[in-house]
Amino acid sequence: MKASLLRWAAWAPGIELPDAWRSWAAAPAPLPATGAPDAKFLPAMLRRRCTPLTRTMLSAAFGCAEPDELARLRTVFASRHGSINESIGLLLNVVRREKLSPATFSHTVHNAQAGLFSIAAGNRAASSSLAGQEDTWTAAFLEALVFLERDPREPVLVVVGDVPLADTFAPLVDEAAVPYAFAAQVGAAGTGPGVSLELGAADPARARAPWPPALEFLRWWLSDEESLEQPNRASTARWLRA
Amino acid sequence: MSRAPCRLAALGQVSALGRVRAEVHARLAAGDATHLSLDAEIVPERSLWLGRVNEALPAIPAPLARFACRNNRLALAALESIGAEVAAAVARFGPARVGVVLGTSTSGVGDAEAAIAHRERTGVLAHEFFYDQLEFGGLARFVAEAIGARGPAYTLSTACSSGARALASARSLVAMGACDAVVSGAADSLCGLTTNGFAGLGALSAGVTNPCSANRDGLTLGEAAALFLVTGEPGGIQLLGVGDSSEAHHMSAPDPEGRGAETAMRDALADAGLAPDDVAYLNLHGTGTPQNDVMEAAAVGRVLGSDVPTSSTKPLVGHTLGAAGALEAAFCWLVLAERRGGELVLPPHVWDGARDPALAPIRLVEKGESARSGGRAVVMTNSFGFGGNNCTLVLGASDSP
Repeated sequence: MKASLLRWAAWAPGIELPDAWRSWAAAPAPLPATGAPDAKFLPAMLRRRCTPLTRTMLSAAFGCAEPDELARLRTVFASRHGSINESIGLLLNVVRREKLSPATFSHTVHNAQAGLFSIAAGNRAASSSLAGQEDTWTAAFLEALVFLERDPREPVLVVVGDVPLADTFAPLVDEAAVPYAFAAQVGAAGTGPGVSLELGAADPARARAPWPPALEFLRWWLSDEESLEQPNRASTARWLRA
Repeated sequence: MSRAPCRLAALGQVSALGRVRAEVHARLAAGDATHLSLDAEIVPERSLWLGRVNEALPAIPAPLARFACRNNRLALAALESIGAEVAAAVARFGPARVGVVLGTSTSGVGDAEAAIAHRERTGVLAHEFFYDQLEFGGLARFVAEAIGARGPAYTLSTACSSGARALASARSLVAMGACDAVVSGAADSLCGLTTNGFAGLGALSAGVTNPCSANRDGLTLGEAAALFLVTGEPGGIQLLGVGDSSEAHHMSAPDPEGRGAETAMRDALADAGLAPDDVAYLNLHGTGTPQNDVMEAAAVGRVLGSDVPTSSTKPLVGHTLGAAGALEAAFCWLVLAERRGGELVLPPHVWDGARDPALAPIRLVEKGESARSGGRAVVMTNSFGFGGNNCTLVLGASDSP
């Protein structure tokens, strides 16, 4: 499956601009475990309603497109955990039989980041939000290809991100728990630097990178390595420059 | 150029109307709203009508115990009905060529409530609690493992349009050659979080939801699963068109003019290469909230006019949230699958009959009403979600292959 990677942006604490990411990719090191962006580009009213995850994902999204593109491109928002940290508070309300805050409830849907992006960017285009466990980055890329299959004329803005799980659930999940977001404009094959994805047999012995899969992809993209193999739950994602 | 075929080759579903196909179709055609149940527990100091699935659900197989939750049991109940067709697809195409794309707005959060309550009492989560039970991505992974598929498996969650969107993505995964078959649809389960959340928003009906009525006062919630086997074969019942849009308006209220809904419907028709006149029936999103119904009727009036028969099936099963788009596509699938001699028996619009002069005059299906279709029958279903996410599907069947 071939596509083009036209533009990218990423955010992690202290690594915000493309040059900082190039430096990180040249000498990758584990990422900071805490921090959230200011997201000053958002109007104050809207910013107040944004969780740390929303500010993180929208920072990458807004860094990855011109204003007219922000209002026009179709989007895929992908997050393994989404708004689960905020949902924990609501779950405590439920078990204590307290009233739930309507604003909190409507901002903890899994597509909250997509919805707030649509409002902030004035974007009325098609949008998808997904979760795919350890395979979330692979799934996000596939979902971008879904939109390109439907209409290849415009690229798709893909945004993947997470923040560390709260203590309630964190012990249940073995992962590189860091706040981050990665955004990419994925276009049809032949419209820019080419990238291909093939899914092969799972290889349980293959080690995971000590940072999220989307950032391992970025590290590879900025390197001179020809291919990257990433372990998924039931497959191996093999990325190639096409 | 028309799109590649997308066959909705087999359907398994479960809702308050049941899971046996002939029974569900009969109840749908009769507008049988007697399967809702009254609940006095789930929201404090309030009684609610709910579209709960009251029948026994299959147990999660022991090797998949880390996925045990009501949401996955609903999915498994739907999956059992198409077990033979799905197993044949996995055998024919190979596990790596079969994908799973499902929608949900709840995943296993209902069971997480019990784990959180345990943690409140004891300081630790119940020891049998796994993150696979709770996380959104767990639904697709569970179904993939249950059927032995190793292709792409992910979960879409765009609130109430999740199930419709999953079918749209399944179609493209097959069309682009990423998969030869996809198990697609949705599952959503009643839980304290959604019932109390919608109660907090003031969005729940005091009685049973009454869509398009002057007296409508909100939602009735429900739960369901609807799973399709999606292939690239011609014939049978086809997913002909998809249209989708965002609202850029508000997190929990639609654009009052229904512009996003209108875009989704127009684009779905264009994608299918069909005209408004071709549509024999529209399953409305029809939630029974003041805001949804007025904007949806306006959008339907602008796209389809006032002659196309429409109904909301939410008075029969409740609003099944993340599953609604797939369940209502399933109801459309049943309308097409049960057509006889070019006649479609349509699900009636069950309400108090009090016309709201503020609503555009769309045509609501009466009890016992059917539609004639020529050689080709085309139906449409709308799904509009929180966060301003809209998705419309067009399904069709031809009498001659």
